[in-house]
Amino acid sequence: MNVIDSFVENWGNLRGGAAAIAIIAIAAFIASLGLLVHWTGGTAFAWLHLMYLPIVLSAALFRIPGGIAAALAAGLVIGPFMPLYVLEEIPQQTSNWMIRTGLFLLIGTFTGIIFTWLTAQFDSLKKAHEELSQSHIELRSAQMELIQAAKLESIGRLAAGVAHEVKNPLAIIQLGVNFLDTTLSCDQDLKEVLDEMDRAVKRADYIVKGLVDFSRSDELELKTQNLNPIIENALNLVGHELRKGQVTLETRLDTFISPVAADRNKIQQVFINLFMNAVQAMEGGGKLTVTTAQKELSRNDIALFSAMKQPFSVGSSAVMVEITDTGHGIPENKLDKLFDPFFTTKPVGKGTGLGLSISRKIIELHDAMIDIRNREEGGVVVKLLFKTNQGSAS
Amino acid sequence: MKKKILVVDDEVSLTHMIRRGLEAKGNYLVMEENSGRRAITAARSFRPDIVLLDVMMPDLDGGSVAAIFAEDDDLKHIPIVFLTAIVTKEETQPTGSVIGRHTFMAKPVNLDDLLTCIEDHLGAGR
Repeated sequence: MNVIDSFVENWGNLRGGAAAIAIIAIAAFIASLGLLVHWTGGTAFAWLHLMYLPIVLSAALFRIPGGIAAALAAGLVIGPFMPLYVLEEIPQQTSNWMIRTGLFLLIGTFTGIIFTWLTAQFDSLKKAHEELSQSHIELRSAQMELIQAAKLESIGRLAAGVAHEVKNPLAIIQLGVNFLDTTLSCDQDLKEVLDEMDRAVKRADYIVKGLVDFSRSDELELKTQNLNPIIENALNLVGHELRKGQVTLETRLDTFISPVAADRNKIQQVFINLFMNAVQAMEGGGKLTVTTAQKELSRNDIALFSAMKQPFSVGSSAVMVEITDTGHGIPENKLDKLFDPFFTTKPVGKGTGLGLSISRKIIELHDAMIDIRNREEGGVVVKLLFKTNQGSAS
Repeated sequence: MKKKILVVDDEVSLTHMIRRGLEAKGNYLVMEENSGRRAITAARSFRPDIVLLDVMMPDLDGGSVAAIFAEDDDLKHIPIVFLTAIVTKEETQPTGSVIGRHTFMAKPVNLDDLLTCIEDHLGAGR
């Protein structure tokens, strides 16, 4: 199927070596037929009908000029012999080589016209197909954006309300646990139960904090600044977790990256979240690599982020941050759900499922992009693209 | 002499729990109030040394209560600590942070942190 597609795609557009080979093949075919007729002393005259094949082929490949050239070549090849054979073998026949050459020219030109028209139709259909495909991709992307935005908006409203309503009961439980811990006797079992309750309250409070962050993540305080110090600070903050998880760290931060417009706290929150995800994915240790680089964006760079709204154009300048881990990766069937609120691949109690939703929301508010995918060599690579603010002070 | 604390929150169970905790761990006399409007009247009669005040209450919010306190010569000297869900622990210190003229503590609050905050304001022992 691919060979056929490739032929349909390329026929009529032969260039260079392929065109030369085609011309030689057609010429050889025409010459062979002429010689066949010549050597058989005209007895193979019927074979001349085959001459239409290279003429049609040439017209198909090289349009009207190809058809005419092949027709003339065929006429030239049979020219020296045809009148003789025709007149000798079929004297009553009025046809001569000029008439036959005229027929060749007619067929060559007509076939050339037909193929020119067919090619134009094909090109037009191909263009329409490409435009439709592009529109389909854009429509699908816009639909995904709308679904995501609707999800985030409703979750955001819900989150703010739930967070507030849940905090009061949590406060009651927290104070109750503290009160019992103070007033009851030092029974070890009781103490353990109270400690367990205290931890549960803190866990619930952590989830509520995630909800509050989620509902607030559309408020940015943008300042033009360099991303490297923000990344370094975030790495410092998760330093203990890296050591505890036996994760080695490699940083390659390009000192010449341009400043970007960023909310320091929010972007730091994103990096901390991504670093913590990486650490938690590397049970038993691994390697976390963080790089920054200035990029002039190619079509391929932007295509990586096809699932997101595209604030970048080809050739524009951007800062790319790459975070790679050597962990267990993400199941392929879960990759498209990563940014859904409350979706998590972590064990119960280890994550709220809001971290990446919040991160994506923050990234989009910065007119930046994020992509997460598995690496062929294992683990995950997260790529972030930020618009640069060249010319501004960092 | 016991220091007096007025606890104002529309969540009855929460004011109960705060009162129990503070009276058990500190040398305090605690009065509960579950309405912003009634808190003003209660403060005038109870004369608290400090007020623990919720922000979001149905009849009169904590900010309005604090504004009325600030305009009342008898009440304006009373320190107010907002116990609220509108701030997070990341935005405030565990024992409260001063934002503007008042101290804010994020719910859910730990009893020890609350006592530390009160002691900081009153300079009184448990």
